[in-house]
Amino acid sequence: MLQFPVWKVSLIVGILLWGVMMALPNVVNMSGAPAGVPKQGVNLGLDLQGGVYLMMEINPDEVVANRLEVFAIDIRNALGNRDGQPLIGHLSEVDGRVLNVSLTRPGADGSFPVDEALTRIRKLNGSVEGAIGGAKTYEIEAAGPALITVTVPGSSEETLMKDALAKTMTIVRRRVDPEGVSEISITPQGNSRIILEAPGEPDATRLKSLLSRDGKMTFNLVESSPSAIAAAEKGVVKPGYRLLSGPETGPLLVRNIPEVTGADIATASQGYDDGNRPQINFRLNGNGAAKFFQTTRNNSGKLFAIVLDDTIMSAPRINEPIPGGSVRITGDFSIEEAQDLAAIIEAGEMPAKVQFLDQRTVSATLGQDSIRAGVRASLIGLALVAAFMILAYGLMGFFAVGSLAANIILIVGALSGLGATLTLPGIAGIILTIGMAVDANVLVFERIREEQRAGRSPLTAVQAGYERALSTILDANITTFIAAAILYLLGSGPVKGFAVTLAIGIITSVFTAFVLTRWFTVSWLKGFKPKKFVL
Amino acid sequence: MLLRYWPEDTKLNFMGLRLGGAILSVLLITASIFLLSTRGLNLGVDFAGGTVMELQQTETLSVESIRAAMPFPAEVNSAVGTDARSIVVVKFGAADPSLLGEEFATLAPELQAERAQQLTNEIVASTLKEKLGLADEDFLRDDSVGPKVSGELFRSGIMALVSALVLMLAYIWLRFEWQFSVGAVAALAHDVIITLGVFSLLQLEFNLTTIAALLTIIGYSMNDTVVVFDRVREERRKYKKMADRQVINQSLNLTLSRTLLTSGTTLLALFAIFFLGGPVLRGMSFALIWGIGIGTYSSIFIASSIVLSLGMDLNKKPAEDVTGFQGVR
Repeated sequence: MLQFPVWKVSLIVGILLWGVMMALPNVVNMSGAPAGVPKQGVNLGLDLQGGVYLMMEINPDEVVANRLEVFAIDIRNALGNRDGQPLIGHLSEVDGRVLNVSLTRPGADGSFPVDEALTRIRKLNGSVEGAIGGAKTYEIEAAGPALITVTVPGSSEETLMKDALAKTMTIVRRRVDPEGVSEISITPQGNSRIILEAPGEPDATRLKSLLSRDGKMTFNLVESSPSAIAAAEKGVVKPGYRLLSGPETGPLLVRNIPEVTGADIATASQGYDDGNRPQINFRLNGNGAAKFFQTTRNNSGKLFAIVLDDTIMSAPRINEPIPGGSVRITGDFSIEEAQDLAAIIEAGEMPAKVQFLDQRTVSATLGQDSIRAGVRASLIGLALVAAFMILAYGLMGFFAVGSLAANIILIVGALSGLGATLTLPGIAGIILTIGMAVDANVLVFERIREEQRAGRSPLTAVQAGYERALSTILDANITTFIAAAILYLLGSGPVKGFAVTLAIGIITSVFTAFVLTRWFTVSWLKGFKPKKFVL
Repeated sequence: MLLRYWPEDTKLNFMGLRLGGAILSVLLITASIFLLSTRGLNLGVDFAGGTVMELQQTETLSVESIRAAMPFPAEVNSAVGTDARSIVVVKFGAADPSLLGEEFATLAPELQAERAQQLTNEIVASTLKEKLGLADEDFLRDDSVGPKVSGELFRSGIMALVSALVLMLAYIWLRFEWQFSVGAVAALAHDVIITLGVFSLLQLEFNLTTIAALLTIIGYSMNDTVVVFDRVREERRKYKKMADRQVINQSLNLTLSRTLLTSGTTLLALFAIFFLGGPVLRGMSFALIWGIGIGTYSSIFIASSIVLSLGMDLNKKPAEDVTGFQGVR
């Protein structure tokens, strides 16, 4: 307890120096420092630097339904009269999590070719990626004399959700940060949620409107015969077409099956038209450009609608075949709108619509206020505790205060070194630690006082005091540490920040109180050899 | 220094007061449970869902002007914000579906619940911006929590409290004897219930940071109790013939100056947060200040009294020999 050999002293000094080095960038601008020296201070939480926190979710029902919609197209191809197979007439409809394929044309004997249809559909059914034992993506069953049902079993739903979440995250990133330069963090939570944290002073409404669109982009031919439009307006829509509208074009009769889709778009960006008004430029990939060229060649004189999420953005007339795949959308956009639309178009279609569950916005001004208030409260708290300790214990109190200062440097250093995030409750955690850190010192000092009362000499009293207090200190701090660990595991956001500082504070305060103060005390006792130890 | 003037050995008969303590605690717990079941807690948006907006108060932007501009009636109050800023706080739940537009009506019912809160938030923000000429910077804070997340946060908060209690129970059982662990956990439950009662009585906002505060109170109260128990165990072994009652009294007196000093320094730090840390931390620091007081009281009058009532089992092998903490010396 009283021996401090060179290795121990160097270890203590080493730990303190590490703390100082790690904590330094928080106080001094270290950008000019040599390599290897930490330059980054502690990360500030959104509540301290301002910003937007968004929690969003993709709905598993929708992911499954969208997947079944896609499978319905494959089924249409498989049951069609291709490769010499006869056509099997059917109607596909997604109802919740089930795809119902009803056969519509009975054979010569009056029965429906369910077995033949089942065989053809099952050929489409691939294995779930990474599944053991070749589990299938879909469960395909005959559910009646003319009905086949397709469902997604649990194991493949998990894979689907994983894919959908990863894809959504990529799209979210591309939409909110098309240049890839911002500090926006996008992290998954569980298997259906995404958390977006955008520091600074971003606009939550703009972020949400960027993310709430499906981003489904298609190029569809338009039926312009006046009789068909008139009929559609009376509610009789020509089969294979639907009535869509847009702010620029009004209602138009648009063909259901698109000629080119968003998947064929290579890049999209905001540009300017001849009149210097913002427009959206985009370029199709090779496949898309070929399809576009073919469509424009075969449909001269018709309108060609550019549809985004069931709204017609623009419907120019095809005057001549267009090669090269460069397309633009003009309209009454602001620069910001055109930029956002370009980002949405380039990022592609969401696997499912995202839903916002939790949104928190803190302005940078409020963040600044909080930092100021937090720092002021810490300094005053520290001053009060220091004064109290020195008044109560004199010189020993002074040692304890030295340890306390080292403790704070170590907490800040550890937070910076671990890349932890400091939040407002985290600052409260540091202040609380300031108050509680002296506890270990007090426990030891009180023991030393008792031992002295029992007649021991200063040095032996110190030795006995530290020995006796050790198990109490450990017990007491382990219990608080348990509370901090639970907070970390179950807490969220700012509360997690509180748990981190509390936990780090417990470790550093045990070290500073038990090791550092002891070293100070023992060095002083050995150096000055006082006859009577004043506590 | 000044501590020299503290009496060297106090001889306060704490256990003599334990009947009074028990009656007081039972009364407080009954009152708390009554308050919690009748008045309930003032749940913040974290747990109840809803939106809170904070706006910087100016000459044109006041409680009245915001109330007049709101598309539907909401709770609008003025408050002192962080760093002594005057602010207006606007609080509301999801608006009536008729205000939410056509798109909302077409949504599936399970999607509507979440969308309603977000849409209401957007509608209020845009209405205020339009009618009062506000910009984004005027909104100091804008939090909107849907029903799903608020429910989950509430459940995980309760989970955190319960698992903290269970783990503490287990740890004390491991390190001491079962009587101690019962005493310690009873003291903790006592602290948590009475603190919740005070939150209900004063209708203070109960949110995520309050849960953090409650867990810290649990940690602190435990810390206090463990220090006393450690001493009780030591004195018990030292004075084999002494009555339990006397051993506990002696231990409480021996640890008294430490108890008061540590509470004192912690309270000093907490008062600094309470007065200077701004409104976000006020509820949390209030809970902690209250909790430190009640935690100190409960380690004496609840934890130690229960150990005294249950009696100590001296024949059990001391646990510390097993864990080897003594060997660290």
